[in-house]
Amino acid sequence: MAKEVSSKPKQKLHVFDIINYIVFIILGLCILVPIWKVLIDSLNRVGVYQFQLWPSQFTLDGYRTIIETTALYRPFINSFITTILGTLLGLVLSTLGGYVLVQFEMPGRNFLAYLLLFTMIFSGGMIPEYLVMRRLGLVNSMWILVVKHGMNVYNLVLMRNFFEGIPDSLYEAAKLDGCSPMGIFFKIVLPLSKAALASIGLMFAVTVWNDYSTVQIYITDPNQVNFQYKLRTMVMDGDTPTTSYNVSQTTLFNAGIIAAILPFMVLYPFLQKYFVTGVNIGAVKE
Amino acid sequence: MSKKKEVVTSGGIVVREKPLKLRIWNNRGYYIMFIPVLVFLIIIHYWPLLGIRYSFYDYYPGRQAPTFVGFEHFQNMFATAAFWTAFKNTLELSVIKLIITTVSSVVVSIFLNEMGNLLAKKTLQTIIYLPHFMSWAVVASIFSLFLSPSSTGLVNGMLKSWGIIDPAGQGIYFLASKDWWRPIFYIINIWKETGWGTIIFLATLSGINPELYEAADIDGATRLQKIRFVTVPALMNTIITVLILNLAKVMNMFESVFVLYNSNVYDVSDVVSTYIYRQSFAVARPNYGYSTAVGLFKSLVGCVLVLVCNWASKKTRGRGII
Repeated sequence: MAKEVSSKPKQKLHVFDIINYIVFIILGLCILVPIWKVLIDSLNRVGVYQFQLWPSQFTLDGYRTIIETTALYRPFINSFITTILGTLLGLVLSTLGGYVLVQFEMPGRNFLAYLLLFTMIFSGGMIPEYLVMRRLGLVNSMWILVVKHGMNVYNLVLMRNFFEGIPDSLYEAAKLDGCSPMGIFFKIVLPLSKAALASIGLMFAVTVWNDYSTVQIYITDPNQVNFQYKLRTMVMDGDTPTTSYNVSQTTLFNAGIIAAILPFMVLYPFLQKYFVTGVNIGAVKE
Repeated sequence: MSKKKEVVTSGGIVVREKPLKLRIWNNRGYYIMFIPVLVFLIIIHYWPLLGIRYSFYDYYPGRQAPTFVGFEHFQNMFATAAFWTAFKNTLELSVIKLIITTVSSVVVSIFLNEMGNLLAKKTLQTIIYLPHFMSWAVVASIFSLFLSPSSTGLVNGMLKSWGIIDPAGQGIYFLASKDWWRPIFYIINIWKETGWGTIIFLATLSGINPELYEAADIDGATRLQKIRFVTVPALMNTIITVLILNLAKVMNMFESVFVLYNSNVYDVSDVVSTYIYRQSFAVARPNYGYSTAVGLFKSLVGCVLVLVCNWASKKTRGRGII
């Protein structure tokens, strides 16, 4: 009986499945073609418009130039340091805040929650924020990236949602054993939240590494800019590094783009599931 | 004494609530843990609120002290054509972008859901999530090279070699053309965010009761009919949620436009945030008072949108977004 039911639609499935595969291939190509073009052009000595599967004149000189251009070191190191510190600060603040927000018997909990939620509804705007940062001496300093991204109310709420899923009985058992709030936090909450820490930590890291507009608004000192900013001025404003090698300008641009995406592209296949978890903690929880 | 509230513990026992002072004292550890969050919250979000007063002042940085001008900036703002252009562009660009990226995410997630081959499905997911992790600076760089009218731009090169445009001509400056800028902007947004947008829909789809599909099979439904009558209705709630959540953020558009626009296409691309940026940092004699006023207007519109969306969310799915 079951066989009959499933065998009948199977013949109709065929056409649909073929269409589905075709759609899949087209979709995958649409995403990959621009990326592949960048990769191949970065390895080609001459700049060509054609889409090639393999560079016509293979060379690593584009990357040699990028590595040997000292003007790119500072932005790259700045990006690296701010990403690590921004992620750490972000994780500290979002776990502490999220943990306090699930203490439902704590007097004033609602007030603190509203204090956080208000920031999602209303903000001072670009100039008032700029003036505060100037007051704090963070204008023209890469630390602005750490401070600005470390406090992220959205990620804090994600953390809170995750903590809410930890069974109350665990907290209460620990309290009965005389565990302090800090003790519960370190001994119970954090060890149970490794997946959430990984995915929210990654979100912080991606945000800080990829930030361009904060640098554009707050930083003019070339020693304090990050790599994304440097890349854009290079490609869009034609600020090409000088090279002793015989490679085209296009090769250099493309090699720069690859350098900017490399850290996350290398890690991405291994971390994909954490990224996806992050979205699901936030959105699907109903 | 009878005034004291009674509370039910998790064990189901009714006890008198402890006095407030004692409860605060008992929770002291938590208050201490919140202090770092509070410090950053004040620096990043609450202290700047004081600066809103400059909307009512003339404030030329580095010159004299701010002078009070009342509502002058708001009058100027509403009389400025460039401001209205930016305001209109913000709404148009973000709403259209939101609709088309949501539709494309829904369509792609339905196809992904129908894919029987798990390996193919996983591979495609890995590929389409990829652009989400590229910064706007990188995406803008990739596409400006891709669309470049120079001898190395793929699109112009192809059009020339196929004879669609004059091979000896200048080619099309896609990102500097008023006709092309918006379509290109939407395409780039689709390219970057469609894949990532499918995650939430796929989560919903994986939660559909398989019995619904089995029942449809027994009724002799074709694959398309099953999509039409089972899959799409199941997604409706999530689609509305995504639209509402993102509608609240339409005023925030900045980086994606900033990295792609240029002075040739301000008419079709300038949004409120980029307008504020230019008024503050890219004019000869910036008046921070004026840009603060525009920022305040933007925040207020954003605030209304969030509250409306929150109300809509409560109506449609029984819980707010905030």
